[in-house]
Amino acid sequence: MLGVILNPYHLQIVSFILINIILGISIYITLSSGQLSLGNAGFMGIGAYTSALLTINFDLPIFLGIILGAVVAGVFGILIGIPALRLSGVYLAIATLGFGEVIRVIFVNWESITQGSIGLSGIPHMGRELFKTFSLTGFDPDMLGLKNNQFIYLLVVLTLLLVNILLIWFFIRQNKSRVGRAFAAIKMDEKAAESMGINITYYKVLSFTQGAILAGFAGALYAHVMAYISPADFAYHRAVDILIFSIFGGSELIWGAIFGATFMTILPEALRFISDYRYMIYGVVLIAMMAFRPQGIIDVSLLNWFKKKLKLKRGGSLGIRTKKYN
Amino acid sequence: MVLELKNITKNFGGISALTDVSFQINEGEIFGLIGPNGAGKTTLFNVITNMFPPTSGEIKFLGDKISGLKPHKITDKGICRTFQNIRLFSQMSVLENVLVGSHCRSKSGVINSVLRTKAQRKEETNSLEAASELLELVGLSMFQDTIAENLAYGQQRRLEIARALASNPKLLLLDEPAAGMNETETESLFDLIKKVQKRGVTVLLIEHDMPFVMKLCDRITVLNFGKKLAEGTPAEIQSNQEVIEAYLGAEEDDEIA
Repeated sequence: MLGVILNPYHLQIVSFILINIILGISIYITLSSGQLSLGNAGFMGIGAYTSALLTINFDLPIFLGIILGAVVAGVFGILIGIPALRLSGVYLAIATLGFGEVIRVIFVNWESITQGSIGLSGIPHMGRELFKTFSLTGFDPDMLGLKNNQFIYLLVVLTLLLVNILLIWFFIRQNKSRVGRAFAAIKMDEKAAESMGINITYYKVLSFTQGAILAGFAGALYAHVMAYISPADFAYHRAVDILIFSIFGGSELIWGAIFGATFMTILPEALRFISDYRYMIYGVVLIAMMAFRPQGIIDVSLLNWFKKKLKLKRGGSLGIRTKKYN
Repeated sequence: MVLELKNITKNFGGISALTDVSFQINEGEIFGLIGPNGAGKTTLFNVITNMFPPTSGEIKFLGDKISGLKPHKITDKGICRTFQNIRLFSQMSVLENVLVGSHCRSKSGVINSVLRTKAQRKEETNSLEAASELLELVGLSMFQDTIAENLAYGQQRRLEIARALASNPKLLLLDEPAAGMNETETESLFDLIKKVQKRGVTVLLIEHDMPFVMKLCDRITVLNFGKKLAEGTPAEIQSNQEVIEAYLGAEEDDEIA
């Protein structure tokens, strides 16, 4: 029964959505302290190449490769984040976009290691490796009525889903804390934030680095889901895609990035039947959004509206907030 | 002595915004800083909080030299300010604004915040209690969930004071707290600042509302063209001939009733 529903193609799309959500969160978290970074495609590439090269050349286990990919991207994040403190707004966006291009050009030209523009193939596939582990325990997907292929993709989706839940949980909690308030304060008024005793250098580099780590992490996951990467995967268009996730969905809330990544990944796939016209529609959707809802689809007032609806349904009269704060 | 300014000079290019300004503020005082527009009052606030460093001179706070410290370190030491053109975190709720104020009095980092450790929860509860108490003090308790920019003007000014107080300052710098307020609002602001003083906070304020300043302040310094013109009790200032000529002007009788 399960075997009929689960289509490897759909599972593949779901795993792209889940990776894109991480990318969406990566730009959201940098934006939450008021920094517009377009370098996340570059950080993604660093994470992807680091993990791919380590697992191919040194037989590192995948999960270790992915963690190191994220760490290396994070180190680059600190290195870029500190000089980037002097820049803001559009200037920061251009500088980080430049950084992404530099990274891509390095991948293209460092042929002895990266294979240049041909890209890296034969990257250990996350699903297959997980499947091998499962097989060792004597598990057979047939027991669930699944084909091996389906099971492999299902494993990828479940792993990514778990990772996503953990990340969303992490950042929601961070947002509701002293750290999240410091980010928001810096975003709204840097000078006032500084006057209130917030070390803006620290928090700006922190949020920039968190974004870099997440992008690197997503890149590493991408490498082990695709099993093939090339510099073109981390080019300018990727940077723009990531930006659109957050801008379209709404950059005020983490849910905006999540919604944006989901919607913008599904849209071109759902419109596949009209082939050539689908990117036209994609463009029209973006223009319409900018005209009618420049703050993005999901914003604070929409969320509050949902919360109110939910509260009415439950029949509760007291919000959690008032209860907690009084 | 809470604050001691020694020969503070601040030049912007060739223009001298402050020249050789010195004064001292005693503990528990409400100290007024007055003078015509462009006299360098706000510049002096910016120099004290090191938004920009003085060209020369020294600032001591509770006996320690603070010139050269980063602004957030100065807040940490116990000096907090409000702004002439209100600078709230406009998209945050009233309560969140005050919570940001307590930033430097708490220390939970990313890990503690995400894991909600016992220490973090305790800190958060303390911050919330302190914030509620401060909102009570400034009379904004019922607005705690309102978005800051939706508050009335006078309320925004009071919120700025609550936010600054959340950092638990020993010295509070108020930049024209009564600006744009009506008479009733000014009166309740007067009471508020008196209450703040009772909490043991020393207050340094810039204000143009002369009756307000004269009634409120223990001592006053007058700045004119970046230089100190006079210093003394309100009575002394009001009878100082130089001050009358430079600032209070001929309409003195109307203004200082």
